[in-house]
Parts: sequence; C-alpha cells; structure tokens
Amino acid sequence: MKRLAFFPGCLIPARYPAMEFAIRQVMPRLGIDIVDLPEASCCPDPIYFKSKDKLSWLCVAARNLTLAEDRGLDVFTNCSGCTATLSEAYHLLKDEELRAQVNARLARIGREYRGTIRVRHIVTILRDVVGYDAVQQSVVRPLAGLRLAIHYGCHLLKPSRIMQVDDPNNPEVMENLVAAIGGEPVRHRNWYLCCGKACQREEVPAEMMHDLLASVHSEHADILCLICPTCFGQFDYGQHKVAQQYGEGFSTPAVYFFQLLAFAQGVPYEKLGFETQRFKPECLRDLPFMEPEPEPAPAPVAAEAAPVAAEPAPAEAPPSPS
Amino acid sequence: MSHDGDEQAGVMRVNYQFRRELARKIEGNLANYCYQCGACAGDCPAAFYCDEFNPREIMLMVLYGQGEALLREDSVLWLCTNCYNCHERCPQEVKPVEVIISLKNMLADMGIYPPAVDRIIKTFEETGRTVQLSPAIDKRREKFGLPPMGAVPMAEVRLLIEPALPQGKPAQSEPAEEKK
Repeated sequence: MKRLAFFPGCLIPARYPAMEFAIRQVMPRLGIDIVDLPEASCCPDPIYFKSKDKLSWLCVAARNLTLAEDRGLDVFTNCSGCTATLSEAYHLLKDEELRAQVNARLARIGREYRGTIRVRHIVTILRDVVGYDAVQQSVVRPLAGLRLAIHYGCHLLKPSRIMQVDDPNNPEVMENLVAAIGGEPVRHRNWYLCCGKACQREEVPAEMMHDLLASVHSEHADILCLICPTCFGQFDYGQHKVAQQYGEGFSTPAVYFFQLLAFAQGVPYEKLGFETQRFKPECLRDLPFMEPEPEPAPAPVAAEAAPVAAEPAPAEAPPSPS
Repeated sequence: MSHDGDEQAGVMRVNYQFRRELARKIEGNLANYCYQCGACAGDCPAAFYCDEFNPREIMLMVLYGQGEALLREDSVLWLCTNCYNCHERCPQEVKPVEVIISLKNMLADMGIYPPAVDRIIKTFEETGRTVQLSPAIDKRREKFGLPPMGAVPMAEVRLLIEPALPQGKPAQSEPAEEKK
C-alpha cells in the first residue's frame, strides 16, 4: 500500500459527501492508504479569499502543506480549487523571498514551510501511481455501452506550468480513466469551456452553461463525467435552471468520476447518493456485473486429459477486487 | 499660461504611484511585461460573453497606471471567471488573471466586494472553511459512514491572516510585527 495524505477540502465533504465516500471506497482497492489531516483548514479557495489578500491566502495554504510535510507524505486533492491553491502555493513558495515572508508568519504558530512534499490531484495518482491497467482490473461492473461526455473544468489543467496534470490543449487523463471503467469517452464541442461559476454577474454563467449544455446534449451522451465539484454544482443545479430559463430539454445527468469508478468497482447504486442529484444517472442501474473470471479451470480438465500435467493450477490468480 | 504638456487634451500621464501600489501585491507587477498582443482576450470566456470585459484592456489600463477606473463598486474585474486561460496563453507570462486578483486585493483594501464574495470570505475568516458547517451537513455525512467535519484550529489561522502586510512595504521580508 502506498500512503498518501488526503486533502478533501470544504466543498466535497460538506456539500457532496457522496463524492468523498466514493473516494474512500475506491482508493484502498487500488492500493492507496489514505492518511487524513484533521488539522487542515480550507485550502483557502483560489477565488474569494485570494481576492482579499494574496499573502494571507498563501500563508494559510502553506500551513496546510506543512501538515503533510509533518507526516512526510505527498498530499492528494479531490477538488480542482484546492488543487489550484495548493499547487500554486507550492510553485510560488519556490521563490526564496516570498518563502521567507510566509515563513515569518508561519513562525507565529511554530510552523515552517520547507517545500518537501508534492501536491497531486487524485486523477494523477490513478494515472501515475496506480496505473490505468490496475484501475481497469478493479472493475467488476463496466460501464459498457454508455457514452460519457467529459468536462475537465478549468483548474485541473490550467495554468499547466503550475498544475502539471495534463496537456491543457489535448488532455487524455479523463478519457483514459473513462475507458478504464468500460465507458465510451466523448469529447463534446465545448469541452474546454469554463463553467462560469466565479463570474459575479448572473447572466454570464447562465449563458455559458446554456452553450455548454447544448454541446453536451448534441453528443447524446448518457452521462456527463466531471472531475470538479464546482462544475458539478453548476451542471446539476445549473442544468435545471437553464432548462427552465431557455425552455430546452437538457437532462444529461452530471456525475463525479469517482462515484462512477466506485459503482464500476461494485458499490451499489443506492449507496452512492445519486438520489440527491437533480438529474440521476438511472442508466447505470441495469448494468450487469461481469461474468466471474473463468476459474483457472484448465487444471482439472488438463489433469483428466493429460495425466502428465500433475501440477496444480497456477497459484497466481488475477488480483481479485475485493 | 499653462504649457504643461501633461495638461494637454489627449495626453495621458502614466500614474506610477498606482503601479507601485499594485506591485506591492504578490505578482501585481507582472503587467509591466505586457506588449498588448491580445492572446488573453482571444481565449477569455468572460470577454466572449460580456462586451465590457477585456483582459488586454485591463492590462493596458494598468500599464498606464489608470487602474483607479477599475477600483470602484461594480468593478468590471468581477466578471472574470478565473478560468486561467489568459495565464495559459500569455507569451510574456504576464498572468493577467493574477494581475486582476491583485487589483481585487486593492479593492479589498478599500473594503469593496460584491456581497456574494464578502459572504464567503467572512465564512472563511470565522470558521476556516468556505462552507458554513451545520448539523445537517454532519447528518448527511453520517449517512455515508463519514465522521463529522471537525473544527478548524482557528487560533492558528487567525494568527496567519492577521494583521495583513502593512501598507507601504514592498514585498520583501516581513517587517517585525511584535504585536502578538
């Protein structure tokens, strides 16, 4: 088991606990041992508190990073906003002057930021630590026959120099993860467009959401697969609002990727909190479990046919997902 | 008789005082490297959806030091969606979004924020989280077998966010603040 510190942030644990539940189900099955950081605060958010005072924002982010440093562990995030703040703090604090300035404040609480650990978004853990093959091998109920439109959101990819997750012009990580759980990844026309949440004039996000949904809708996707909880809020509630406002029948259920992965790993539909969504991924319900791997069956047959083969069945069974 | 060139109609004097103030914010000085190519505007969703917002024009105003037009109630700055496309695209690494956030820091120094923004900031300053915790949240978590969300050690967070870096000091070492 690989041990990693977990920084769930505020939005997922408070608003969307089903997402956190899914992550805690999924990661141990993939060989990741989750270490919690109970003293953590908000990252703080890269939109609002950062707008008040960048230095204070950076100091609180640095404090959160020191919690993982204390444990000598890299920290993984599940929210694009937290990833933005913590990755940017890591990046900015390479500057010695700024680090000294931040450490002068951290000294007030007896802490020091040293820059000894990395911030990693959870999808990069799946890609780089676990591997796509192991993700695929953990699946017992593939999303076969479903078209999953993918929306990356902004902060997972940009600024790429700081986030270091994937190529912002042609990312692949979500496509590969959707394929690993047996779904068909679909790139919709506006896949790169912002969800608009941070814009403080109501009509703008509504218009953006309309264009996004039209693009998703035209792909006839069964599910809109998301990786950012802020995008989720925009797409779930937003879709409801836009459908009313524009009188159009958008109804593509938005689902956070890790709930889909948990489902594919066999967590029952009813346990994954979909009933709280405005648009529910009912299409998942009837998906069958995979036929159990044919037992290393040849052994008895072989024994019958060829008495020479006295060896027992190979002990090495495929890693069976729990 | 005033033949002062600065006073002539159509002549704009660069307000260096404003630029110096902005430069005190983290990455607030980056607009200095802007050569007005417009890569930021071409890929800006806020510019696409609202006529009044254009990151290239904001960088130009900052270059001239004319940012005060941006620092008022209902500032156009709040139309930015924080998507970071401009940061990604800028060939000069100006990071227009960071300049915009630095300008918002100046707005905050003046105590001007939109109500929705103010609410979230206050929640963070009071609780250390951007979402207000409640028994309902813990109950929802319990349904998933998750423990309640613990309280943030606010004594530590408060010490970190207060007092803010005193005005007038360039971003160098923290001045001796022996208040606490």
